[in-house]
Amino acid sequence: MVTASEADQKLVQRAQRGDLRAFDLLVLKYQGRISALVSRYISDPGEVEDVTQEAFIKAYRALERFRGDSAFYTWLYRIAANAAKNYLVAKGRRPRSDASIEDAEAFDEFGLSSDSGSPEAIAMGDELVSVVDAAMQALPEELRAALTLRELEGLSYDEIAEVLGCPVGTVRSRIFRAREAIDERVREQIGGGSGFR
Amino acid sequence: MTTRDKDKEALSALMDGESQELELRRSLDSVEDDDALRAWWSRQQQVSEILQSQRSSQTGLDVSARVRSTLASQPQFQRNPLWSMAIAASVTLAVVMGGQALLPTADLAPAPLVSDIGGAVVPVIGAQPIRASFDARPVPVSTQSPQAQDTGPRQAAAAYERLARDRYLRLGAQHARAAALNHPAPFVHSMRAQTEPPLEVQDSK
Repeated sequence: MVTASEADQKLVQRAQRGDLRAFDLLVLKYQGRISALVSRYISDPGEVEDVTQEAFIKAYRALERFRGDSAFYTWLYRIAANAAKNYLVAKGRRPRSDASIEDAEAFDEFGLSSDSGSPEAIAMGDELVSVVDAAMQALPEELRAALTLRELEGLSYDEIAEVLGCPVGTVRSRIFRAREAIDERVREQIGGGSGFR
Repeated sequence: MTTRDKDKEALSALMDGESQELELRRSLDSVEDDDALRAWWSRQQQVSEILQSQRSSQTGLDVSARVRSTLASQPQFQRNPLWSMAIAASVTLAVVMGGQALLPTADLAPAPLVSDIGGAVVPVIGAQPIRASFDARPVPVSTQSPQAQDTGPRQAAAAYERLARDRYLRLGAQHARAAALNHPAPFVHSMRAQTEPPLEVQDSK
């Protein structure tokens, strides 16, 4: 098994050594979830953007002290939740009625509600889910099996190779080709809009 | 498979924690100034989230450029200079240790090794064989008096200078002789090379 935390580990280690490129990839990976978390506290999109940015900068500053006792995203979520909390305190305001610190801190990696963000973003998110589902169903069996074992079962490449009875290099190639095929559908449907980069 | 596809496949492996260190470095190099690759990585993260949770936390915000520029513009957040300093320090240490190994030791009699390069017999100051082992013998240190330490390097420098001059003259003569076989003009130079030291060597005297 390769957990999300283990997958982040190499990037986190490089970022801890001052590699901004590695941290940039972590920002790209988590900015959607972090901004969704922040929007649980703050409704104004501009403020959400500011606080999200501040949360990542604080995280980078504190990265040397991250020891890996918890998953990177758990640590990052806590920083973002505190950033949002402190922002509201500084402004003398209360969180949005549907958010509480305890709820936010208890969120797991994908525990965020889909009602985060603007109505447009919610609609885009729903559309993206259906596009990805359709693209997944349209994949050739061998590609779908490899990607399913990786994404849904969390198996490592070695384990997938064993299950599918093929070399590890083939597993790696199939997973990449599956992702490319899905990405092609996503870009066709969404048109590479700014929200989906 | 194109280079772009290889870059993407490497990023795909990185997503899964299956990237080796060398490949990780290449991925970071390739993605650094390539917005299309960064966008691919970002989309793949969203697709992964959807596959695993059947929902998207997409808010439409993208703070990555702002975070990057903020961190890059603040010197304290840039690449840790201690790493390059550490490399420089390692090289310096290796040079110092190598130099120490060339100095004579107390427990090993400095058997004067000689060099016969260029036909000259020149003692090589303090040179001794170095054993690569986990022996308990302490690191060799110099036992020469400060005065001897002052004159030692000068003697060594003079000896090396003589060696270098001999070697230079010998090679020059060989070259001139070889050239003279193909053309009569260099023969004159050949004669000069056998009789005159080069100008810079003359100046150093």
